[in-house]
Formats: sequence, structure tokens, C-alpha cells
Amino acid sequence: MIEFHLDYRSGVAPYMQLIHQVRQALRLGLLRKGDQLPKVKDVAAGLAINPNTVLKAYRELEYEGLAAARPGIGTFVTGTLDGGSLAAHQPLRRELLRWLGKARRAGLDDESIEALFVSTFRSASEEDIA
Amino acid sequence: MTAVIAAEGLGKRYRGKWALTDCTLSIPAGHVVGLVGLNGAGKTTLLNLATGMLAPTTGTIEVLGERPAAGPAQLARVGYLSQDAPVYAGLSVGDHLELGAHLNPGWDAALARDRIDQLDLDPRRKAGKLSGGQRAQLALTLALGKRPELLILDEPVASLDPLARREFLQDLMGTVAEQEVSVVLSSHLISDLERVCDYLIVLADSRVRIAGPVDELLSAHHLLSGPRRDPDTRPAGCQVISASHTDRQSTLLVRADGPVVLDPAWTVSEVRLEDLVLAYMKQAAGRSDRNRNRHLEALT
Amino acid sequence: MIWLTWRQFRAQAVTAAAAVAAFATLLAITEPRLASLYTGSGFAGCRGGSCAGLANAFLGQLSNATPFGGPQGFRLLPAGTNLYVTVYAVGLLLILIAPAITGVFWGAPLIARELETGTSRLTWNQSVTRTRWLTVKLALVGAAAMAVTEAFSLLQAWWAAPISRATDLGGSVSVFSGGRFSPFVFATGGIAPLGYAAFGFALGVTAGLLIRRAVPAMALTLAVFAAVQVVVPLWVRPHLFPPDAAIAAVESTHATFSDFSGAPTLSAAVVPGQPGAWILASGAVNAAGQPVTALPAACGPASGTPTAGSAFGSDLGRCLASHGIRESVSYQPVSHYWPLQLVETAIFLALALALAGFCLWRLGPPRLNSRPAEASQRAVGVEATVRSE
Repeated sequence: MIEFHLDYRSGVAPYMQLIHQVRQALRLGLLRKGDQLPKVKDVAAGLAINPNTVLKAYRELEYEGLAAARPGIGTFVTGTLDGGSLAAHQPLRRELLRWLGKARRAGLDDESIEALFVSTFRSASEEDIA
Repeated sequence: MTAVIAAEGLGKRYRGKWALTDCTLSIPAGHVVGLVGLNGAGKTTLLNLATGMLAPTTGTIEVLGERPAAGPAQLARVGYLSQDAPVYAGLSVGDHLELGAHLNPGWDAALARDRIDQLDLDPRRKAGKLSGGQRAQLALTLALGKRPELLILDEPVASLDPLARREFLQDLMGTVAEQEVSVVLSSHLISDLERVCDYLIVLADSRVRIAGPVDELLSAHHLLSGPRRDPDTRPAGCQVISASHTDRQSTLLVRADGPVVLDPAWTVSEVRLEDLVLAYMKQAAGRSDRNRNRHLEALT
Repeated sequence: MIWLTWRQFRAQAVTAAAAVAAFATLLAITEPRLASLYTGSGFAGCRGGSCAGLANAFLGQLSNATPFGGPQGFRLLPAGTNLYVTVYAVGLLLILIAPAITGVFWGAPLIARELETGTSRLTWNQSVTRTRWLTVKLALVGAAAMAVTEAFSLLQAWWAAPISRATDLGGSVSVFSGGRFSPFVFATGGIAPLGYAAFGFALGVTAGLLIRRAVPAMALTLAVFAAVQVVVPLWVRPHLFPPDAAIAAVESTHATFSDFSGAPTLSAAVVPGQPGAWILASGAVNAAGQPVTALPAACGPASGTPTAGSAFGSDLGRCLASHGIRESVSYQPVSHYWPLQLVETAIFLALALALAGFCLWRLGPPRLNSRPAEASQRAVGVEATVRSE
């Protein structure tokens, strides 16, 4: 069973953080199909957050097809996240390392690299939505 | 769904000063409601009116559809925790449970005993010897033992240390998850309210400034930042709650009840609950300052 | 609510019971000797009006007695003090202060302490209304206060029966004096203590409700109760029941003379034929029944004008009688004892009930949903008790 944690200073809504953590756990193999997600009561009591927040996260996961609620028993994982097989990760990682090398040779320091990446990533995501 | 608390033009005046003015609320059931405001804003007055400890000067209030403290049946449906969790110092923890059993026909003795066990409270210990956090837990047990539909908590964690505060809120959230109980809790600590509340009421200067589900409030408010504008700017379709200007930049916290089309020079970002509450409090303070100044001007 | 009242009151109840038990034990130990002295003295069998001498003899013996007779009797007190005098005085004191003590220590904190500590906010939000809460507390603790005081009174009445009889018939030795109408004896006998206890308790509760703090309420209760207990015997009690009147020969009333700023006054000491009567007023009257302002010159005693406080000798008495001067007395006879007790007790009980009713009204259900126009007219007692924001 996974354990949730919250970062109140991250600016990300708590229910989104819970969803991200479930998805991350699925990607890393910490959660597998058929596993039970922690009970709403336990999450609410453990983190001292409103149970509706937990319910909202679980409902969203259900909507995405990743989990299903069984009334009276709990919420269970029903889907997997195909974040791409590990095979697809390797070439991407290599490309990324190459780009990082280029950026350093161009004289960018760590913060500039991160800022460049984040702003490009964000505008790309917005374009995806638009 | 009946509102758990319905107030219409509610006002309370003591010693010539209005502690609460023109309060109209309809709090739906099934939420954890946060009542936030500075000390002196009227939170305790509102909660005392809701529990029947005070009678209104103007307006009406109904709790669970009935007059507060109308009779034993109404009292049984509402659990209350007063500020500083008073308990009988000379009575033991077990005695307090007996008190609950004798004074509440709907008392669930098994539930109360389980809570005391889980909380590791020794039933033989005198209540006067408990720590602040333990007293708050005991008082909460007394409020929950009668299985109320509504729980009213007046600054339950204000005087607790951070660990006790966290434990209390954890316990409260666990209970809300298990039992179907609506909660109204007041606090001046916005960080606590952020975690646990899904409905918010902001009281400032004895008036309700804003009330509604947290999700809706957050999606209706935006933080606009951009190049310096005229201080009286009002972007289309928005109500400016607070504004701050430097020589280069203007930042506005606005409320927009629908989708908004704005000048692209504005950067729109989400508002955090704490910022929203502070903006409304500042707005209230600004208005009362302006009133005071106007009175002064009229006198000169 | 009964459980809670008992649980909160338990320690005080035990203390009170212990005090009553201790007093009862003291009386039980000392009673046999008292009873034997009484039956042994000629006084017990004496009937009629001239038992004063025998009464005094009995009381005199009593004031020198020890519980088990003879010098071997145990000595609790230093030599020279007298056990029976002490026990009698202690008894009177206990009965007199019991209503004040219960009023101050049980009544004043009843509401005030709960308001001060905030526990009222705990209890009033359980499923019991404020009205029921207060009604049960008033009834149970009030009844206990009355029971304790009356217990002391009944014990004392039983133990001191011979002494009361002796003082009624004119006996007077040290503290055994005054008869049933004397302020201390009247206030501690019959059923009057019940009335005082109820009143003292209700007074305490009311003070606590109005002042909202236990210690100041206790002080106020004590002050008001003490004031009432001084005022009532002096100015109220004499008028509670119509007194009888009689006119008799000056000598037969054992009148004494006092001279206040020139006008001579004769104060009767007894009412002939009415042993134990309580004299309210007396004065010399002439044959026509009018008050006399000056003694006839012919009746000055042989050795000059009478000195204040002296009793009239029989020569002087005969002289006054020959001038038609008699003593007029307004008094309450012994037969009025129970009517006076009943009226006084009824008044105190009525006051107690009125105070209790006031407290219930003030504390009662909040008057809500009143129209704005009338809203501010009626003060609700609890408001100021709640911490304002």
C-alpha cells in the first residue's frame, strides 16, 4: 500500500498531488493492477485533510480509468500507465544528455537550463491544449 | 438539502457595539466549513448564536431547521466544542463519559470508549491533569459521542502546540470520513483551514465578506499581474478585491463570476486560499478606514 | 442530570454529613447526663407558674456538670469552661451559620463557578436544556441545604428540650437564657431554619448568576444574608402576627425604670400569667389608659428619685397603684410561637422561590427570532456571561 504526502508550498492543489503520486507509483511499479489504494479515512486522517479532497482524487482516477471503487470495500487499481516501456526511455535519455551537453557548452548555468526547459515545456503544453 | 445553518439578516449588538451585522448565510450540509476572521471579527458571536448561547438582536438563525437550543431534541443533533475546551478539572476522563451518557439520550458509549482507547487517555485520570491537546480531544469526544449531525468548533486548536494541533485535525478528519457529520470550525489560522475545509466563510469587521465552496471561490478569483496601471483600473467583467502597485508593476486580485476576456498584457495566475482571505480582510479594513476618514473629514 | 449534580456535589455532601454525624455524636454522648440531671432535679415535675427557682437550680447544676458525672468525667476542655454551656452554644451557632454557609459555599458557586471556568458551555451543549439543568441543581442542592440545617436544628431541639423548658419558665443561667422568643433561640428552633436555609441558598445562586464570579458572589451573599438576619428579628418578626395586650399592676410585671433624656420609662420584664411571653412594648399608663410621662411626686422612693435600671420596690409599686398607674404591655404569648414560626418560614420560603424563579427566567431559553423592533427590549441573562469576540 502506498503512502501519500503533501507539499503545501508547491502551489499544486492537494487532490492533484494525490493523483500525481498514484500515477508515479503506477509508473514505478509500486502499485500494480488489483492493489488497493489507501482508504479515504486513513488518507484524510493521516494527512489531516478533508476526506472530500481524497474522494475527488479517487474519482478523477476512476474517470481516467486507473481505479475503480468497490462500495464498502475500498478503491482498487484497475489500469496501468503506459509511460512507454523502458526501452523507449533509453533513446530519449541519451538525446537529453546530448542536449544538456550542448547547453553547457553554450555557457548556460543550471538555473538557466532549468528555466529554459520549464518555459518551453509549459508553452508546449499550452499549445497542446489550445 | 436543508442548510445546516441558515441565517437571515442576523445581527448581534452588545454594549452599544455591533459584534455581528447583517449576516445572511445558508451553509449546506456535508461540508467542513471554515469560519475565518481576525479576533473581534464576530466568529465566536456567530457560533454562540448558532448554539443558542446568545439571542440575536436582529434577524433570524436556524440550525438544522430549528431554533438553536430549542429543546433537548435539537441540542442532541448539534455537538459543540468551546474555545479552550473547558472540562471539569475534578472529574476523571471516565466521569466525563458518564456525564455524556447521562445527559445525552443518543449517547453511543461504545464509540466514546473506543475513541478514548485510541487516543490513549486513561479513564481514571482527572481531567484537570490532562494536557491542552488531550483536553481538546476529551471535549471533542463529548461532542461526538452523541452522534450529532452538526459539529460546531470554536477555535479548537488555537491554544494547542503544533503537534497537538496536527493530531486533533487528523482525528477530526478521520471522524468526518467515518461519520456523516457536517463541521463548522472557526480559526484565525488560515493554514489549518486550507487543509481541512471545503467551504469557507470570511468574516471581517463584523460582516460576512464572502462565503462559498472553496473550489468555486478559488476558480472565481484570479491574480492579475502586469505593467503598472492607473490605480482605479477595473478590468472588464471583474470586481477588484485588492490591488497593489509599484512604480513598474500592478497586481490585482479580482473576482470574476464568469469567463473573462482580458487585455493580454495581464498575466493571470491562480489564487491561493490564504491570499484570497487576506485580500478580503484588507478590503474590509480599507473600507472601515475610509469610513473613519470620511467621518473625520465631515467633522473638520 | 441527577447523576451530574450528585457527582459535582458529592464532596460537599460528605462533608456536611460528617458534620451532622459529629454533632449528633457529641449530643449523644452528653445527653444521658443532661437527662438524668433533669429528672433528678425537682424541676421536671414542676407545673404551674412558679417554677423559676427550680428551673434556675437545674440550670445551675447543668452549668457545672460533666458528661459522666463526678470528677472522673473526661476533660476535653480546660478547667473552668463548662461542657454543657459550650455544647449548647455550639449547637446554636451551627444552626445559625448553616444557612449562611450553604448559601455561600453551595449556592454562590453553583452557577458562577461554571460560568467562570467555562464548563457551562460544555454542559449546556449536551442534550439538556439550561432550564432543566438549573431546576435539578436548585432542587437537589437546595433540598440538601435545608436538610442539613434542619438536621442540626432537630438534634439541638431534642437534646436541649429540658433547657428550653427551663428558660421558658423563667430560668436564666449564663447562656441558658432568653426563652423561645429570644432571637437566637427563635431562629434556631421550630421550622424557621428551613426557611433561612432555602433563602440563603437561593440568594447565593442568584448572586452567582448576576455577578458571574464565585468569590464576589460569595461575599455578597454573606453580606445580604447577615443583613436580613439582623433586620428581620428587630423590625419584621414582631409584626408577623397580631400581638396580645394586657394591663397589669406595675409590680407584677417586675418593671424596671430607665430614664432617657428626662422622660421616665418603665419596662416590663414579665407578663403576669404568661410565662415565656415575648414583650414587644411596654409603658406606664394612667387609669384612663393614657401613657404617663412623669411619675407622681408623691411616689419617689424614700431615698430620693429612683435610679435607672432599678426594680420597683413594693412600696413604690403600691404607691403607683394607688395613683391609678399601671403597666401596659404588648406581647406575643407562647401560644403565638408556632404561628410566628409558620409565617416567618413561609415568608422566607416564598422569597427563596421567587429568587429561584428569577434565576430560571433569566437563564432560560434564548428568545430568538424576535422582530427587529422588539429585539433589543428584553435582556437575556446569559449574554453578558459569554465571552464577547
